[in-house]
Amino acid sequence: MVGGSRIRQIGWALVLAVCFALLLALTFKVNAVKSDVRLAERQIIAAQRAKLMLETEFETRASQQQLSDWNAVEFGYAAPRADQYLESERQLAALGSPRGIDAPEPVRVALNRPAPESDGLLAEWITGEEGDAAPERAERSERHDLIAAGGLAERLASPVAGMASVAEAGQ
Amino acid sequence: MNAFSGFGPAIAAGRSGYGAVSMAVASGRVQLVTIRQESLSLARWRLLWVALGFVFVTLLALVRIGYLGASDNGARGTSLEEALLPPRGEISDRNGVPLARAFPAYALWFNPTALGEDGAPLVRDPAVVAGKLKDIFPDLDQAAVTAQLAAGKQGYIRRRVLPEDANRVQDIGELALEMPMENDRHYPQGSMAAHVLGYVAADGTGRVGMEQVLDAHLSDPATRGTPIALSIDSRVQGALEDELRRGMKLVQAQGGAGIVLDVDTGEVLALASLPEFDPNKIDARGQKLMFNRVTNQVYELGSTFKPLSVAAAIDAGVVRNLGRRWDASPVKVGRFAIKDSHPMGPDLNVVEALIHSSNTVTARLADELGPERMRRTMIDLGMNERPYIELPAKGFPIWPGKKWPRLRSMTVGYGHGIAVTPLHLASAYAAMVNGGIWRPATLRKLGPGEAPKGRRVFKASTSSRMRQLLRAIAVYGTGKNADAPGYRVGGKTGSAEKPGGSAGYRKTALVSTFAAAFPMDRPRYVVIAMLDEPRGTLASSYQRTAAWNAAPIVKRLVPRIGPLIGVRPDDTRDVDISDLKPLIPEANK
Repeated sequence: MVGGSRIRQIGWALVLAVCFALLLALTFKVNAVKSDVRLAERQIIAAQRAKLMLETEFETRASQQQLSDWNAVEFGYAAPRADQYLESERQLAALGSPRGIDAPEPVRVALNRPAPESDGLLAEWITGEEGDAAPERAERSERHDLIAAGGLAERLASPVAGMASVAEAGQ
Repeated sequence: MNAFSGFGPAIAAGRSGYGAVSMAVASGRVQLVTIRQESLSLARWRLLWVALGFVFVTLLALVRIGYLGASDNGARGTSLEEALLPPRGEISDRNGVPLARAFPAYALWFNPTALGEDGAPLVRDPAVVAGKLKDIFPDLDQAAVTAQLAAGKQGYIRRRVLPEDANRVQDIGELALEMPMENDRHYPQGSMAAHVLGYVAADGTGRVGMEQVLDAHLSDPATRGTPIALSIDSRVQGALEDELRRGMKLVQAQGGAGIVLDVDTGEVLALASLPEFDPNKIDARGQKLMFNRVTNQVYELGSTFKPLSVAAAIDAGVVRNLGRRWDASPVKVGRFAIKDSHPMGPDLNVVEALIHSSNTVTARLADELGPERMRRTMIDLGMNERPYIELPAKGFPIWPGKKWPRLRSMTVGYGHGIAVTPLHLASAYAAMVNGGIWRPATLRKLGPGEAPKGRRVFKASTSSRMRQLLRAIAVYGTGKNADAPGYRVGGKTGSAEKPGGSAGYRKTALVSTFAAAFPMDRPRYVVIAMLDEPRGTLASSYQRTAAWNAAPIVKRLVPRIGPLIGVRPDDTRDVDISDLKPLIPEANK
C-alpha cells in the first residue's frame, strides 16, 4: 500500500467520502422520519384530547336528568306497554287482514336491485348460449326469489301470498 | 516610494529655480498614489473580513444542521402511552358510559407579575380587560374581576375554561392572564350516582364513594389506563333518581332512598340517596348531603319485614297450611299490646294477613316460630352486620343482641325493634325471591359466572311460595299501587313510625318503604323505594303510608327500566297464584 499509486489512494479517499456522505444522508433521513413520527404522535395526543373533551361534552349535554325533564315538558315519551310488543312473526301476521275484494292496491315501496346484466353476460360467455333468453330468465328467477324469500311485509302485501300466510298463521 | 525620493534631489540640484515647483507636484502625486494604495488594501481587508464572517456563519449553520440531523435529540419528553394515560382512571357504568373521567383542562389565573415586578400588571385598563373577559364568559362577575385586576392581586379568575374560550382569552393579548393546565375530574352526569361515585378532593384523593374505594387502582399508572366498570346502569340510575325525586317532591319528604338490585348476582344496578350532592362542585351544602341513606342510615323498615317472617315460618314448617286461620285480635305481651292499624276481622289466614299487612297475625306467627329461629334467619340474611357493599360508609344495624325475649321476636316479625339499612332489605328480598340464596351486594360489574356462590337461607320451595304471596299483595293488597301492568310486580309496603317523641314513636313521622321484585314469574330485580317523613298531600290522597307514596314510585319506575334491563312487559305471563285465590276474599268477588 505504501508504494501504491496516487490514483488508488485518491480512489480510496473518494470511496470513504461517498460512504460517509451516504451514512450522513441516511442518518438525516432516519432522524427526519423520527421527527415526523413524533409530530404524528403529538397530533394523535391532541386529537385524543379533543375527542375526550367532545365525548365528555356530549355526555354532559346528554344528562339523564335534563333529558327526562325535557321529556316531561316537551316530548312526553312513555315506556312501551305490553300490547306494543310482538312475540313472533305469527303475531305480526295476525295483525294483518286479507285484502278486501274492492280494496285498492297497497302502496308498495320501490325496490332497487342492481341490474343482472353482468351476471347474464358472464353466464352467457361461460356457457356460450344465446344471449336473448338470459335477461328474461334472470328477471323471472329474481321475482320468484322475491316471493319465496322476501320479507313478511312483501308476502302480506301480495294478495295471494298474503292469504296463504294468514291461513298458515291461522292453523 | 523610494524610487521617487531618489530622483528628487538630483533634479533639484540641476535646475534650482524650476526644480522647486516640479518637486512640489511630484510629491503631491506621490501622496495620491499612497492614499489609493492604502484605501485599496483597507477595502481588501474589509472584504476579507466580511467573507470570513459569512464563511463562519455558514460553517456554524452546517455544523448545526449536521448536529440536528445526526443526533436524535428532539424533545423526547413523554412517550405516546404516557401522554395518553389519564391522570386518574375512568369510572364507567356497566355499559361503558363514563361516570367519572379526568382530563387536562385549562384554568384562568391572573398573574400580576407577568410583565415584571414594577409597573402596571396589565397593558390596558382593567375595566376594558374585564369587559373583554365578560364577552367570553357571559356569567362573569365583571365588577369583581375589574376590582381583582385593578388591585393586582393574583388568583383564579375561573377554575375551568373550555379550549375555545382559552383561545379567545389568548387573543385579548394580556400576558398577565395565564392559562395553566390542570387536571379536572369531571362527572358528566352531574349529581347522578353521586353517592356511589363520591368525589375527588383538592389533594387528589378520592372521597366518599367508589372514588375512595378504588383510589389506589385509579391513581396507579399501571392500572389507571383501563376504565373500571361499575355494576351501575346509568339509564336505570337516572330513572330511579328521577322517579324518586318526583315522588319525594309530591309528598314533600325529607329524603328518599332507592335501590335496584340483580337478584341472581347481587349487582347493584342503581343506588340513589336523595337529596343528592354535585361531585363537580363540592360546597358546604354538598358536604352535608354526602350521607348515604341506602347504606349508612338504619331504619326500622316496618311491614316490609313481614314477608321475611312468613318465609322463615314457612321454611321452618310453622306454616304448613296457608288456609289456617290466625287470631287477629290485639296481642298482649306484658304491658305491651300489639295492634293492627285498622280492624281486619277476628281472624285471618297468612295470605290475608300479608295482603292487609296485619301486625297481630305476623306477631303470633313469629311467636310460634320462636326467638331463636327468627334470630337465626335474620343472621342468615346478614341483618346483624354492616351491609355487604364496597362503599366505605356502611351503617351498623340496631341489632337486638344475643338473647331475644319473646316480645322482641314478635316485633322483629313486623319490622320493629330492629333497624337496618335499605340495602340489607334489598339483599334479603333478593334471597327470598331468587330461590333462597343470599348473596352480598356489589358495585363491581360481574362477568358471566362470576357471581358469588352465596349461602342458602330459604328452601327453593319457600322461595317460590313467597313469589306467589308477594304477587298476591301487589294484585289484591296494599301493593296495588305498584302493580305496573305487564311487569308482574310483587312487593310489600312498609310504613314505620320513626323513633322519638314522648311515646317512643312519632305518629306523624313515618318511613315509607316499598320493597318489590319483578317479574314475579322469574324474578330478576329487586326494587326498593323509601321515603323519609313523607307528608300527606293531595298527590298521596292525604295519606302518609307507603301504599300512597312509595308504591307509585315503583309503578312508574319499573316500566321505565324493565325494557332496558331485559324484562319485557307481557300480559300473558304471570306467576301462577290460582292456588292462593280461594284464600283471598278479594279474588273471589
